[in-house]
Amino acid sequence: MNHQADTSSNTVVAARSEGDLRRYLRGFGGLLAFLLVWWVGAMTTQPSYLVPGPLDSLRAFIDLFTTSTAIVVPLFGSALVLPTGLAHLAETLFHYVPGLLLGASCGIGLGLLMGWKGALDDWLRPLIRVLRPIPPLAWVVFAIVWFGIHHTGAAFIVFVGAFWINFYGAYGGVEGVSSELTDAASTLGVERDLSMLKLVALPSAAPQVLTGFRTSIGRCWMIVVGAELFGAPGVGYEIINASNNLAMATSVAYMFLISLAFLCMDVGFRLVERRVLAWR
Amino acid sequence: MSKQLPTHEDASEKITVRNVSKAYESTQALEDVSFSVSAGEFCCIVGPSGCGKTTLLREVAGLEEPDSGSVLVGDEPVTDPGMNRGMVFQEYALFPWRTVRGNIRFGLDRPACECADCEERVRELLDLVGLADFEDAYPKELSGGMKQRVGIARALAVDPEILLMDEPFGSVDARTRDRLHAELLEIWAQTEQTVVFVTHDIDEAVTLADRVVVMDADPGTVQSTISIDLERPRERTDHDFVDSVARIRDELGSPNHRRC
Repeated sequence: MNHQADTSSNTVVAARSEGDLRRYLRGFGGLLAFLLVWWVGAMTTQPSYLVPGPLDSLRAFIDLFTTSTAIVVPLFGSALVLPTGLAHLAETLFHYVPGLLLGASCGIGLGLLMGWKGALDDWLRPLIRVLRPIPPLAWVVFAIVWFGIHHTGAAFIVFVGAFWINFYGAYGGVEGVSSELTDAASTLGVERDLSMLKLVALPSAAPQVLTGFRTSIGRCWMIVVGAELFGAPGVGYEIINASNNLAMATSVAYMFLISLAFLCMDVGFRLVERRVLAWR
Repeated sequence: MSKQLPTHEDASEKITVRNVSKAYESTQALEDVSFSVSAGEFCCIVGPSGCGKTTLLREVAGLEEPDSGSVLVGDEPVTDPGMNRGMVFQEYALFPWRTVRGNIRFGLDRPACECADCEERVRELLDLVGLADFEDAYPKELSGGMKQRVGIARALAVDPEILLMDEPFGSVDARTRDRLHAELLEIWAQTEQTVVFVTHDIDEAVTLADRVVVMDADPGTVQSTISIDLERPRERTDHDFVDSVARIRDELGSPNHRRC
């Protein structure tokens, strides 16, 4: 009996890993095909800067880590020497991270309160209907006149982008809290609204809140690059800076650097998410 | 309609429902409902769907307010939910983000509670409902019967005087239900709590109750109350058991209420 169960579970594992292997191979095939098309395209296009080839791009990517650049750490004002790619990535993070965290906190906070408090919802809903459709990048003009397009201005634009996604995640999450759970909590001695929010609404909304935050990680990368195209320092700025010098391979290298940075953050956050939501 | 209801105030009445009416938009959920439950009594409320039995239970719990009439627990009118009334829900209503232990602890962690021996109390309850091996499991990992054991343990944790149960075993299979009935009666015998148990299953009511309140639907009224003076544990095949079931079925009488 036992032995049989072992064999059958082994078969299942084998079948699964076989499926995995096939998927990996196909994915790898897709990447290879893309590289081939890219390479042929680069070979056959003149002038060569129109489509920098994969090898040139790889070389440019490696250059990002073999040369170094000094950047200024905001607030501290001290200079920091890092490999060029990391230096500009750090510059981006100097406004990306505060913008994202602050925007997410404010968005989640307001979303929870509005989803929970009907009166607040009544007050603010029309206002939000009006403000919500404005693309975060449109705020760039105010970012410029209020803060100047440097770290603070770029952080402000990221803030706006992070705010809305997180707001809707939290708002929807709290709205979906089952009345059975709040009933159960109130028969177990939860009396104050704030305790109910903390003990029931927030944990119950956690999946949507976290999904909102994960979405905002990606969205804010798009926004941050947009902001930097207007002149804030960072990888987005380097993309346009390199292209101004017709160093298109360097632009491609920075594009991949962004992709890599986003991937790391996304994978990292997914791990956190899986841990926090183990109960699901 | 026969209404042999006690109109006098009895000192030992734990719960008194007095002339309670409640209307929702389209239906009269409860109309002039009165009855009482003595301290330590196991009272079942049976009736067809829509007779307002759940509404009635929620009003005793303080989760809903009657339009008119009043609900008293002891001498105190019910205005809000309170820890002296534990509630067990049909769909368990466990907090899915808390483990079995976390769910049972929930009420104990409210500031109103003395928490000196919380851990001890949780262990005691885990043993009582036979879930000691599952204390770290999340609700999603449990069967329906186990979930409801957690629901019962969670409600019992703060040692309420009254246990309110809303069709608690409606979603578990028949064999599990039999076992849960036996366990519940054992717990009740140990804790000497007053139990109000809502069900649409007459067999279940006769298995458990000291007294059955039979309700009628549309509008929701109390049809009659029937005492079940049978020794426990009760056998479904006993003559007296069958007799009691038949009496309740008669009370539920009219053909459009057959489905209960």
